[in-house]
Amino acid sequence: MTPSPDTLNQRLRLARDRLATGLITAGGIGVLLAVLAIAVFLLWETLPLLRLGDTLALAKLTPLAWGTLKAAFYALLFAVPLALGAAMYSALFMSTRLRHRLKPTLEMMEAIPGVVVGFIAGLIIAPWVERHLAGTLLLVIGLPLSALLVGVAWHHLGTRLQRTLPLSWAGLWLVPWFVLMIVLIFWVTPQLEQYLPEGDLRRFLDKQWGIDYATRNAMIVGVAMGFAVIPSIYALAEDALADVPKSLLEGAQALGATRWQALWKVALPTAGPGLFSAVMIGAGRAVGETMIVLMASGNTALFSASPFEGMRSISAAIAIELPEAAPDSLTYHLLILAALALFVFTFLVNTLAEAVRQRLRRRYRRLEGHP
Amino acid sequence: MIQRLAKNRDEAWPWLSAASVALSLLMLAALMSLLVVRGLGHFWPAPIEEVTLADGQVIAGHAVREAPLPDRPGHERLYYTANRDLDGALWQWVALDAIQTRSTPADLVLLDRASWGDFVGRLVAVVTPNERLEGEAAWQALQQHLNQRNAVANGAPSSAASGDSHVPGDTYLPGDTYLIVESVEGRRRQQPLHDIHRAQRPNAMSMGENIQTWGGAVWRFLSQGPRAANTGGGVWPAIFGTVLMVLLMSLLVTPFGVLAAIYLNEIAHQGRLTRLVRIGVRNLAGVPSIVYGVFGLGVFVYGIGGSLDEWFFSDTLPSPTFGTGGLLWASLTLALLTLPVVIVATEEGLARIPDAQREGALALGATRLEMLTRIVLPMAAPAMLTGVILAVARAAGEVAPLMLVGVAKLAPQMPLDGEFPYLHLERKFMHLGYHIFDTAFHGEDVQAALPLVYATALLLVLIVLVLNLTAIFLRHHLRRERGN
Amino acid sequence: MQASLPKSAPGSSASDSAAVMHFATTESCLDINDFSLAYAGVPALQHLSLQVPRHRVTAFIGPSGCGKSTLLRAINRLHDLNESVTLSGNIQLEGRDIHAPQLNVAELRRRVGMVFQNPNPFPMSIYENVAFGLRLQGRMPKRKRDDTVEWALQSAALWEEVKDRLYRSAWTLSGGQQQRLVIARTLAVRPDVLLLDEPASALDPISTLKIEELIRNLKSQLTLVLVTHNMQQAARVSDYTAFLQGGELVEYGPTDSVFTNPRLQRTENYITGRMA
Repeated sequence: MTPSPDTLNQRLRLARDRLATGLITAGGIGVLLAVLAIAVFLLWETLPLLRLGDTLALAKLTPLAWGTLKAAFYALLFAVPLALGAAMYSALFMSTRLRHRLKPTLEMMEAIPGVVVGFIAGLIIAPWVERHLAGTLLLVIGLPLSALLVGVAWHHLGTRLQRTLPLSWAGLWLVPWFVLMIVLIFWVTPQLEQYLPEGDLRRFLDKQWGIDYATRNAMIVGVAMGFAVIPSIYALAEDALADVPKSLLEGAQALGATRWQALWKVALPTAGPGLFSAVMIGAGRAVGETMIVLMASGNTALFSASPFEGMRSISAAIAIELPEAAPDSLTYHLLILAALALFVFTFLVNTLAEAVRQRLRRRYRRLEGHP
Repeated sequence: MIQRLAKNRDEAWPWLSAASVALSLLMLAALMSLLVVRGLGHFWPAPIEEVTLADGQVIAGHAVREAPLPDRPGHERLYYTANRDLDGALWQWVALDAIQTRSTPADLVLLDRASWGDFVGRLVAVVTPNERLEGEAAWQALQQHLNQRNAVANGAPSSAASGDSHVPGDTYLPGDTYLIVESVEGRRRQQPLHDIHRAQRPNAMSMGENIQTWGGAVWRFLSQGPRAANTGGGVWPAIFGTVLMVLLMSLLVTPFGVLAAIYLNEIAHQGRLTRLVRIGVRNLAGVPSIVYGVFGLGVFVYGIGGSLDEWFFSDTLPSPTFGTGGLLWASLTLALLTLPVVIVATEEGLARIPDAQREGALALGATRLEMLTRIVLPMAAPAMLTGVILAVARAAGEVAPLMLVGVAKLAPQMPLDGEFPYLHLERKFMHLGYHIFDTAFHGEDVQAALPLVYATALLLVLIVLVLNLTAIFLRHHLRRERGN
Repeated sequence: MQASLPKSAPGSSASDSAAVMHFATTESCLDINDFSLAYAGVPALQHLSLQVPRHRVTAFIGPSGCGKSTLLRAINRLHDLNESVTLSGNIQLEGRDIHAPQLNVAELRRRVGMVFQNPNPFPMSIYENVAFGLRLQGRMPKRKRDDTVEWALQSAALWEEVKDRLYRSAWTLSGGQQQRLVIARTLAVRPDVLLLDEPASALDPISTLKIEELIRNLKSQLTLVLVTHNMQQAARVSDYTAFLQGGELVEYGPTDSVFTNPRLQRTENYITGRMA
């Protein structure tokens, strides 16, 4: 009964709508194609290798691939226990207030640029560790032991002390304890080192077992890059653990399991795929990280698994050599092949992680009774 | 005891997981405090020590750090002694047991010079064409000269030279005046006044003067260009380059990212293909940044840039104009790199808007465009903003791809100036992150550059953290608002 | 391009339509002919045919999943957003096929207002919510817009409650007020038909009563179609009732006869089962 008041206006609106929809569609597809172009470009630029290269040329890449995997391995060796431990603690034991503060703090840790971490690792930590090798190695055993010691001792404390130093805040109040332990360890080790025949662990390693020590080495890269990937592993692992249906944990505890048993027997198996995908994401980041390896590794293309020797990774090689390689030279195309390998590897790892995560989410929905 | 431990095992293990958190926090705190202390501490006017050694040698300088002696027990200390023109070096290691006396005389002078770096020693005299001043009067005159010159440089009227001044005449002629300075060992040198930037007597300064000097030094660090092969001066061109590049990048990434997100979420058929594309975009965020750099070099620089040169700048070939790394290519590369960040964040924002809002608008006779622009986009705006801020934070800290597409250790010209066309997209630019890498690893004197690298790193971290905090705050705020 | 639907009453316009609507009629406003709809091949509505009379309240009742909401959404062509939907048959508004290719969907949706189960006010002020549809129709003097907003809010029996806080966020209103605001927002663009999809099911009893009273008052102005799972509500407010089951129309007739003297056993079972 009401007529359309203004046919021209109607037509204008309709035309505008059609135009905008067309533009958005074109733009959206264009952007997505541009993103896709990365893969196409890398593939296209490796094709000339069929003409230029021989199998010997590929051999140039093997030490780089080795270096990449070695760096990623040591980074994960350092990051995975810390990140998963932190995730378990914050999902199950930590006070909610601390947890809400911790998550953004670790997000900020993730945001620290690689170039800064690399600078600190390569120029500050590496020479320092070289001078204090024994103490640094002792930290690896000493700090976890000291935490366990606190755990055992805590049960013998009075109730009042237990209440002032609760487990749910231990993530915070253990920090000064660790500072104390670190000072103690670095004070003690020089005295201990004197009992070695060479008076110094580094010379001892060299003389007794012929182990070389490079200032910038895999251990340093592992710690620095581990520092950079802890936050991403932690975030995903924490999500997976925190989403484990509460009913499962309560069920286990109702049967007399301690919280730790409930975590170990129920939460970890349920969240396992989530933890796996968290580690995969961490691996993807560690493989591709450039600046930290570039600055903290010494960049020597070696075939060595020793944590005390350096390596050269694919990403670092690209960053150093590609600007100098003439386009269309063999090196140029080889480096692009290396970039393609990085691309494919990280893309596959991420896709795998994402697929596992999706399945886990469906499993949680089932467990919570939503089919 | 062992049995006790086994019994308590279940209660002790959680402490190990707590230790992981404590250790992560400790590392973060250590890194941050290292950066803050070293980055800001460098600008604090440290006292100059005059040290007499056992062999009678006298040196003067800032104590930097101590290390164990390489060949025998004991420690040695590193002094920054400056005076490169006299000693041929800026640094000197001194064994602690060789030190006989240490003092901090108030009359020691630190001169910041244009050539040869700093000078540490005593001011003997100020010599002008008309007169020669010595002792405390010389110091007064030097201060007055420097103040007056700064006033001239700032465009203030030069009438400051009043009757009671020691400066002769009304016109200021820096070339006529020189200083006679003496190192602590007694070697003298004539020092032209125009060569001197600043003069301090750090041991004689009060707390207020210290703070003032510190503030001035921080300001110069932020506002001046680098000097002495990046070991001195400031990082202003790097700040400017970083900000300009990131701005250009966000201008590029925002419209395209939002467009792609709207297409994916609001227009595309929500089938299997869209789901695959979505996962693909998400995973691109995990592709290493160096790969984007390779793409930028191959496609933007060699591909598009090379063709542009052939078409429009063939007269300057073979020296490339756009066919080499530059501001535009760097911004484009980083825009591509951060595209997934913006798309994912925007899509999350769009997905969180209830369909009831969309249907409500449609049911009132809105077209799809009107529904999008009047209801959906305003509601998703904070999410888009979050995405862009996260993208900017990521881009500001990213260095590896820039090494391939246009960053320079020292750019002779700023990419933005008064010369037509004002914004020079083809020029190379300086970047804070690359400045850190280059100065720390390719500098001639790393020891001298280290304090500035610390300061630059602190600046970069602060920029990135502030951006991230803004994004976190925005997202948190957003979730709470939705929750209510 | 045919952008508008035919005029039903010659001479009526947006400004005086309220006055013209007082003549009583039982003419058909919506004609649904052999209409079927399937989601991704799964049929949701099968061969439905019924006429919705003008200026009456017609209720669609039936068990959950019977297709009553689907039918309502089809009348507003909200299924356009979902591409897995297939249709056959037709729905005519005032004699015009609403799926005709040259028809302007936005204009159709303006003429067929819809109110959803959960109130969905936009995140803007109360005034802007009501003025939203008006602004889409093009420029309008502010005076006239103010008047229309006030008229719409009064028609939705909300004016007295919100006239002092028109510029406060619509999200500060209670659930019942929000639902009446959504009705006012829809009325402001002067639709011919108002579709209500369980408009009171998320509300408390007092708000529900207010909505029902509003529905009874509104039928002098326009045609209303109400989907509800509440038998008493259908009996209280509707003139005609259609009973749907499994995507098929089982029984359709005046509400009195459907409720007191159903022709089919299935209808009776449903009604008595629910009412007992």
